[in-house]
Amino acid sequence: MRLKSKKKTECWRIPKLKMDSNWVLKHKKRIINFDLDRNLGKNRSKSDFCIKCKGIRLLCGKTRCPLLIRIKHFLKIVPLISNKDISGVSPPSVFIGRIGYPYVYAGPLVPPIHEDTSFFDCPEAWFGKSIDHIVSFRSLLIRGKKRVHAKKFSESGRMYEKILELALADKSVDTELEFIKKPKGSIFIDNNAQPFGPSAVLKKMKISNSKFDYRIERAYFDTDLKSNQAVIDLYRRGVRVSKIQKVFSVGALGIKKNRRLVPTRWSITAIDDIISRNLVSKVRDYPEINEFRVYESNYLDNIFQILFIPSAWSYESMEAWYPGTIWNQNSEKVAIFSDYENFKGRTDYAKIGGCYYSARLAVCEKLHEERRQATVIVLREIHPGYIMPIGVWQVRENVRNAMKQKPKKFKSFEQCLKYAGSKLDIPISDWMVQSELLKRCRYQKKLSEFNLIK
Amino acid sequence: MNQIFKLKISEAKLLRDMANAISILIDEATFKIDEEGLKLRAMDPSRVAMIDFEWPKTIFEEYECVSPSKICINISELLKLLRRAGKSEAVNLSLDEKTGQLQIVVTGKYKRSFTMPTLEAVEEEVPTPKIDFNVKAKTTTQGLSQAIDDAQLVSDHVRIEADSDKLLFIASGDLMGAKITLQKGSETLLDLETKEASKATFSLSYLSEIIKAASATSEIATLEFSTDMPIRIDFQQAKQGKLIFFLAPRIETD
Repeated sequence: MRLKSKKKTECWRIPKLKMDSNWVLKHKKRIINFDLDRNLGKNRSKSDFCIKCKGIRLLCGKTRCPLLIRIKHFLKIVPLISNKDISGVSPPSVFIGRIGYPYVYAGPLVPPIHEDTSFFDCPEAWFGKSIDHIVSFRSLLIRGKKRVHAKKFSESGRMYEKILELALADKSVDTELEFIKKPKGSIFIDNNAQPFGPSAVLKKMKISNSKFDYRIERAYFDTDLKSNQAVIDLYRRGVRVSKIQKVFSVGALGIKKNRRLVPTRWSITAIDDIISRNLVSKVRDYPEINEFRVYESNYLDNIFQILFIPSAWSYESMEAWYPGTIWNQNSEKVAIFSDYENFKGRTDYAKIGGCYYSARLAVCEKLHEERRQATVIVLREIHPGYIMPIGVWQVRENVRNAMKQKPKKFKSFEQCLKYAGSKLDIPISDWMVQSELLKRCRYQKKLSEFNLIK
Repeated sequence: MNQIFKLKISEAKLLRDMANAISILIDEATFKIDEEGLKLRAMDPSRVAMIDFEWPKTIFEEYECVSPSKICINISELLKLLRRAGKSEAVNLSLDEKTGQLQIVVTGKYKRSFTMPTLEAVEEEVPTPKIDFNVKAKTTTQGLSQAIDDAQLVSDHVRIEADSDKLLFIASGDLMGAKITLQKGSETLLDLETKEASKATFSLSYLSEIIKAASATSEIATLEFSTDMPIRIDFQQAKQGKLIFFLAPRIETD
């Protein structure tokens, strides 16, 4: 049952889900009101740490993130898999773990559903869907895994080739998996990557024949093309970001001897960074915009106000976590974090993590399309309705949605700031304290404002 | 081969330090070259800072300019090539009229020749700020960059204040503060002329980059400023060379 759409990747049909799609919602209240202290004892981590760490760096010193475990605790009701084998149609989707690098778990994600499932792994089409809906279909994806060396993947033989083929496939692929044990675990939650369901070690894997997208096929067979350039080429030819990320993570791009597996969460940010860095280098040469603009978008209780200021390119991404949101459980106060780059760009990893790069990609797309440059400041408020992290695609698509709206235009910085402030809960003065670029826009004078002589 | 100009600098370090100081503010630099010497005046992309640079022909070991012209080169690319040159190796620069290629020949223990393309020159003349400065302070660049380093520990901007007998650098961050005093007649502050006590605040990210890079080319810097006006920093150069930076202030209104 493949659907025939006129335009590729634009028309999606959502497969019917047999399970109750509101099951997360039922537990949402319980998750929010749950008292952490009773369950985790007094050794709780500091809220500051949590926002910086986001379950990735484990700054609290525990081996697993207690906050994520807590959410999983309530989501235990994932579909039960009673067999050691499943068959279904993979969207196609693969996941590469990061634990144990360079020996990482690589493998396919397959739901026990026999129809077109491409929607399951296409974050570009998810905008507007509720958390409950997204989690409910993502948790159907069962992950088969196999230890593969990140560089010497030929060691793993046919299994790796099948994973590769699946990642490159253009459309959903019929897949059969046989596991060593029954799939275990509940749901996988991560700040950068999309959630998915239980996993098990693979014994056998069968896939039906699949066709590759010609653009991806060409990049795959070009073993002299640097991966950086390959990513940019694919993006220019209109391949969607989430697909490039998948192809990149299985080591299908780049110079032959440099090809390697890239854990999924690293590759998501790598792709956002590579593409937006390339766009920034072009944006820097364009003329500046003529007015102050404010773009806005609100999705999944994430409120975005994006300021475009007529000045040379520079970029700041700020996020404010409300008390009660996942990474700010214990504090009474809103926690605001930010990172920024100047005209010349940055060389180190942004403090606030992958969403910095996702938002940068979305705003650069807009500036490049208009052939203009500007100073961009992204203000993001995260309210308690955002009960769990579902991946940085949310930030990318949310900001892309903001860029599609008609901006509010203003004559001065103060007007534009006042408008953005009226749409946000947190007073502008609080943002101002944390923000380098807002301060710069308000206080830093330009030489052209003074008396000049030839 | 028709060459528009032919220059020779006996020490690569001179050229490299200067290119480094220029690259702080701009990527693509349009130089004016005539019989007198080499000139550059440009603002950074955000129009907060400006560089005014001049090298008279006396700086060069050999200087030959057939016709006055403008050339635009990518400074960071040039810098990459110059980093390959040893400190005291000689550098020859020449521009081929036909190809528009800049040729860079580095002669030391062996001879290396690089070519790089020139870019489209910017025609627009950059004006300089016209300001009546109330304070003129002469400092050593070493002392100045130390003071800036101290201030950078606590904040991202610094207030520079002067009265008749001292120059102050005051930084206040969210939690910490710093106050650096340079007394008139001390080893660091060589001279201070104050018409009127003044203070102005500047971004440290600009100030420290400028001062660090320019210190390599000079021993003595002259600061000139007035309350809430741009600062002018003149880095004294040998043989009538000129390297001046202007930086617009931060004005905190509330």
